[in-house]
Amino acid sequence: MTEYAIDIVDVTKRFAEHTAVRNLTLRVPTGSVYGLLGPNGAGKTTTIRMILNIIAPDSGKIHIFGRPSSDTKITERLGYLPEERGLYRKMQVRRVLKFLAELKGVRGREAEKRIDEWLVRLSLKTPEKDWGLAKIDELSRGMQQKVQFIGTLLHDPDLVILDEPFSGLDPINAQALKDTVVDLKKRGKTVIFSTHLMDNAERLCDSVCIIARGEKVLDGAVTEVKEEHGQRNIALALEGDGAHGVASILRDNSLVRRADDSNRFFEIEMAPGADPQALLRRIVESGASVQRFEMIQPSLHQIFLQKVGAQGIEEGMTGHG
Amino acid sequence: MAKLWAIIKREYLERVRSKWFLIATFLGPLFFAAIIIVPAWLASRSRATTEVYNITILDATGTNFGQRLAVAIAGDTTDKKKIPAVRNLPPAELTQAESLATRDVMHKGKVGYLVVDQRTVAGEAAHYAGRNASSIPDMSQLRNALRETILAQRLETIGIDNSRTKQLTFIPLDFSTERITERGRGGSGVASVIFGFAIGFLLYMTIIIYGQTIMSSVIEEKTSRVAEVVMSSVPTDTLLAGKVLGVGAVGLTQQILWVATTYVLLKLRAPIMAKFGAPPMTFGLPEISMGAAILFLLFFVLGFIFYSALYAAVGSAVNSEQEARQAATPLMIMIVFAGVFIQPVLLNPTGTIAQVLSLLPITSPIIMPIRMAVTGVPPLEMTGSIVLLIVGCLAALWLASRIYRVGLLMYGKRPTMKEMARWVSYAR
Repeated sequence: MTEYAIDIVDVTKRFAEHTAVRNLTLRVPTGSVYGLLGPNGAGKTTTIRMILNIIAPDSGKIHIFGRPSSDTKITERLGYLPEERGLYRKMQVRRVLKFLAELKGVRGREAEKRIDEWLVRLSLKTPEKDWGLAKIDELSRGMQQKVQFIGTLLHDPDLVILDEPFSGLDPINAQALKDTVVDLKKRGKTVIFSTHLMDNAERLCDSVCIIARGEKVLDGAVTEVKEEHGQRNIALALEGDGAHGVASILRDNSLVRRADDSNRFFEIEMAPGADPQALLRRIVESGASVQRFEMIQPSLHQIFLQKVGAQGIEEGMTGHG
Repeated sequence: MAKLWAIIKREYLERVRSKWFLIATFLGPLFFAAIIIVPAWLASRSRATTEVYNITILDATGTNFGQRLAVAIAGDTTDKKKIPAVRNLPPAELTQAESLATRDVMHKGKVGYLVVDQRTVAGEAAHYAGRNASSIPDMSQLRNALRETILAQRLETIGIDNSRTKQLTFIPLDFSTERITERGRGGSGVASVIFGFAIGFLLYMTIIIYGQTIMSSVIEEKTSRVAEVVMSSVPTDTLLAGKVLGVGAVGLTQQILWVATTYVLLKLRAPIMAKFGAPPMTFGLPEISMGAAILFLLFFVLGFIFYSALYAAVGSAVNSEQEARQAATPLMIMIVFAGVFIQPVLLNPTGTIAQVLSLLPITSPIIMPIRMAVTGVPPLEMTGSIVLLIVGCLAALWLASRIYRVGLLMYGKRPTMKEMARWVSYAR
């Protein structure tokens, strides 16, 4: 097993009007869960398509498990769930899955066996009803999403690529997806997913890469990234409606660089050189009832806002999810 | 290779399993049977109708000319009802009798009336008025009967008796036609034209139907976003090739079924025709050599690849069926252009138009097989046509694969021609 599942070196991809990805270098360690974070239009999907060899980079090199991404044998080790999901609507579920399996080199009885296992596992096949014999059209949206997961994982890929996997998922399927990611990691598989939902990324990912406007902003293990961004953050929770008096304190630029207001909960980034104790005193003096005041590592969300800035928000960053 | 096969298999099985395919496959031969039987039935109708007997002869000759004419019109029938009525009258009353007869026709009593007088006996003029005046077979039967009666009258005046005149004027001519090509005589002229038309029409329809099938299939993959999953597993060229081959195989299956059932229907044609009351006609199918059959197949396959590749490119560039209908107009014009020339080429299969059109890749898949059906094509022209068509196919595939791989991932507004031209220049 090579050290890196994905090794992207200095890759650039231009389209007619703009450069989608510029001089991107990133490495995904084998066996890790890796988050590709960035606002919409940052170049995540383009990067993923290049990894999958759907489009070719204009310059730079991409290696998957040590082989060039154009190696057709490599594609059989990849599983891909695109952002926009859909299947052949008029086709029977089993036949769709069989087709997807065949495209990945799983054939005949082996494919049938795995389809059965997966259909049972995701309760699409029960003693009462076998949805495998229904047409895709006849399935509910949630069931269609399950079928699509099965299609992604049927050939037991070593590298699973999920593009915005949580968008449009109902809570039950979202949980099933998280469980699946954890399970895949336990089995030594590499999972890379793109998202603009930082909470999910923070909980699931070992490492992340933040890209914006086609360029890498930062990357590394989640713990390292957080440490690098210091312990200058404070989690503040208030009781009752003390928030009103606190608002003016949080606007004081000599103390606070940025405050993320979630009504009763604040994540505060201290101004350079400011003393957190001074901030605490001011808050207590204002008469607010403090429930929690804790020096914390910044959340990915905070780091993201700090690094990508308002531009990211304008481009469709939706923050917490 | 295994992946290409998986794509071909899916395209083929999903289509062959569909209800639409079954319906079209079984209705097709009925349609072709109609094409073959209806003209023959119409041809049988081109004998005079029974209406021709239901007329009045206004005889102002003062002789028994009208009576004899009536017998001649009726021909060899002995049915009393089939002998037209005759009114003898002096020339002076003719005008009044005509207006009476006109009213009778207007009130649907008789179909028409025929006026004969001295000038008719002299072989100069006769006049007919009636509802069926525009019927070519009816009028030609009346004309023949008039000629026959005048001739008989003349023969009598030079002393040939009645029974001999019947013998002399009776000419039951069966006029048959045969085609001669560079390779010699073969089949009847009509049969090879019908055969050529059938081949041309079959290719024309198949290219349109299956070209659009491929286009819809590409649009479905694009709009349902399955395309992206498939593209992550196989190169786009393989996907395109699998589609063209898979859908092409469906078209071929259908054609083979059509040709086979049509052949059986043709064999059963005589009994079917008899049921329609049409007399048996000799209708020799042109003999097709193995070589010719292979050439027909080659033109079908190449023509299909040429057009379906372009249809796939259009499908990949658009976002919906509605957009596709507009975007495919240039392709439709190309095919209809070929279709428009089916008839002129049938009529003049060795002319300059036929020669040029059977060389151009956009028309040759339809025009060349028609020429082959109705005439001999010089080997040099045949080779040139095939070579140019193969070059055309390669160009179409090259162009299509480049538009296809970019188009499949482009959503949003429909690209302009200029943008599509730029896609072609993209590396990948």
